[in-house]
Amino acid sequence: MKSLEATAVAAILATVSFAFAADTTPGKPMKMDEPMHGEMKKKNMKKGDVKKAAEKRARQMKPMMEKEAAGAPKR
Amino acid sequence: MKKRTMDASLAEHSPKLIRSIERRLFLRQGLSLGALALLSGCELTDDEGVQKVLLAMSRWNDGAQAWLFNPNKLAPEYPESAITKPFPFNAYYGEDEVRLVDGASYKLELSGLIRDQKPWTLPELYALPQSSQITRHICVEGWSAIGKWSGVRFSDFLARVGADTTAKYVGFECADDYTTSIDMATALHPQTLLTLRFADQILPPKYGFPMKLRMPTKLGFKSPKHITAMYVTNEYPGGYWEDQGYNWFSGS
Repeated sequence: MKSLEATAVAAILATVSFAFAADTTPGKPMKMDEPMHGEMKKKNMKKGDVKKAAEKRARQMKPMMEKEAAGAPKR
Repeated sequence: MKKRTMDASLAEHSPKLIRSIERRLFLRQGLSLGALALLSGCELTDDEGVQKVLLAMSRWNDGAQAWLFNPNKLAPEYPESAITKPFPFNAYYGEDEVRLVDGASYKLELSGLIRDQKPWTLPELYALPQSSQITRHICVEGWSAIGKWSGVRFSDFLARVGADTTAKYVGFECADDYTTSIDMATALHPQTLLTLRFADQILPPKYGFPMKLRMPTKLGFKSPKHITAMYVTNEYPGGYWEDQGYNWFSGS
């Protein structure tokens, strides 16, 4: 009888923990306005900041690299 | 879940070992207290003048670390029994937000001081000679984990595409919008790996499918995941965390 109760409790616990377990399946759209994850972030940093910084850096690098490539010897 | 995994990972290593790794990476080569403050990403002040001074000190520290870097010294490798299971996931977003890259249409774009800028497909990359390593990933957050990584030796790839290896930097752009860059000496280090597999399986999305750069001589945030483009240049490319004040070289 006790083993039956234990089995029932275990089954309930398993069901509850499954229901509340975080869904870590990849592929959900990133919520850009949410705070960043991880310990590296500083306060007020949002996930979307990374994309904005990448676009800004690409705009800065493009003319410099074009100039660099134009001046580089043919290899 | 992620927190517990990291704690478990930390618990596997004695505080003495963690301290030793930190010393090896930072203290032995960190030649200024200001730069050390920046290494931790501490926001000491928002004052623009102070930030400029600290940034200049950090760049000086980059130069010192680059000067001390031994391109022939190998990072420790470990037996399969030492592999950390599960290997922690870490990013600036949640595990459910990992970008799914379509392997069938994937192309690695090349630009800058590279002779052959033909984009590379995944089957072409898988067909290149591969090597494996079991090495320790060390995170700036204070945890570390050991994993098995396989892929193409980056120096071989750079030679194959005709990269100008006298240039200073290799920069990376990633499908998750992340950017970073490394010095050429580290790019040519024998353990720097264009990683295509983790634990003998195709690299899972959460570890950077289809490709990440693995460098056991640098901190984890220097290793870009989901790489879509790379370029060789003499212009300082920076990177996301580096531009926030984290030390650019971040290696031994």
